[in-house]
Amino acid sequence: MRMAFDPTILVQYWPLFLQGAWLTIQVSVQAFLLGYTLGIAVALLGLMPGRLPRLAATSYVEVLRAIPFIIILFVIYYGLPFSGLRLPAPLVGTVALGLFASAYYAEIVRAGILALPRGQFESARAIGMSPLQAMRHIVGPQVARAIVPPSTNMTLTMIKESAVLSSITVPELTYQGLVVQGNTFAPFEVFAAVTLIYWGITIAVAGAARRLERRLGVAQARGVSRNRLAASYLLLERERAR
Amino acid sequence: MSFQFAYLAGLMPNLAVAALVNLRLSAMIIVLALIGGTALTILRSLKIRPVNALIAFLISFIRGTPLLIQIFLFYYVLPAIGLDLSPTVAGVAAIALNSSIFISETMRGALITLDPGQIEAATALSLPRHLVWAKVILPQLFRRVLPVLVNEATIVVKGTALLSVITVVDVLRTAQQIASASYRPFETLIGAALVFLAINLTISLLGRRIEGRFAVQRA
Repeated sequence: MRMAFDPTILVQYWPLFLQGAWLTIQVSVQAFLLGYTLGIAVALLGLMPGRLPRLAATSYVEVLRAIPFIIILFVIYYGLPFSGLRLPAPLVGTVALGLFASAYYAEIVRAGILALPRGQFESARAIGMSPLQAMRHIVGPQVARAIVPPSTNMTLTMIKESAVLSSITVPELTYQGLVVQGNTFAPFEVFAAVTLIYWGITIAVAGAARRLERRLGVAQARGVSRNRLAASYLLLERERAR
Repeated sequence: MSFQFAYLAGLMPNLAVAALVNLRLSAMIIVLALIGGTALTILRSLKIRPVNALIAFLISFIRGTPLLIQIFLFYYVLPAIGLDLSPTVAGVAAIALNSSIFISETMRGALITLDPGQIEAATALSLPRHLVWAKVILPQLFRRVLPVLVNEATIVVKGTALLSVITVVDVLRTAQQIASASYRPFETLIGAALVFLAINLTISLLGRRIEGRFAVQRA
């Protein structure tokens, strides 16, 4: 049993952690772009008139959301060579992560569009806005306000899910952590470092999203003033004085 | 090589047996997480400053790091500080802790939708604090968070697939073992995917049924 924290391991291996973290960020950004593009396409497909497009969109979303990401990843990673296509693991991992996220983004976009009161676009056109102006000033901001908070949540989930790419040897942060762990047998130091880096990344993304939300004017938490008695049960934090 | 449906059909019984492992672990985790999440919520409502600060730190940590890393922490790090857990116990503990935190956060959101008048009424009847929770708040709270709990159950089921990485022999690991013997990874992994698809679609369907029944009761 070893209790002492040995920082020399981190000093010695920091380039690996840095490379891993950088790849995690790159993979996440690419998967986000791919996932959101696909998500919008699937959402629009689901909103098209007719039963078939809607069925296709619903099946896509339901199937991808019911299967663990690690299995989606393995099916694609081992299935592609099966059909004669050999691609590098980081590419396969990024595409799989994007596909996985696209199912959730599709639901978010769909709900955001459906939440828009009917006739907003037509009203904007009626008071003389061009279609572009109507999208930019009336419809766009309202949809954005509805979809940014859940999209942030999903993006954080996706970044965290990228750790699973380590299991198909994509040398991202978790993989590098396991490599260092195999070399040093110092799990405490290694996982402390890996954990802190993930935590830093997610906190940074969450902070950026909060700033975006404030700019878009997403409704702040309702400051329902409650009586002290009810608050002693129904609120889990002390109310901050303003 | 071509995709062989006969081979896929042949291995489904094996995978179904392995699925019992995922189902059993998931059931344990969900029960633990529901108890843990409820206890955390009640504890937080007491607003003891150092306790809540500690819980806030834990929430930020659990929400800010991958579940896979949390599983590794329980599996690799706890033995290093003298607590040797079997892969199954470490995995169940890691996912249950993760899920407790998410359930407690859901409950936090649902609590403020309850009617404060009921708390006043209960207190006016001099109901002791534990009975206000047990008789007034929790029954309504559980009903309100039920849709999220159903969703959380599917997340837990998916989470158990990660336990294959720390050598728990579940559906995924069984599929991998079969694949490494037969050199047919595509069919076996599709089989594993179908197992999870069946489990989670069933949970969603049951969840919608139960919600429907509650809605009728409330009306």
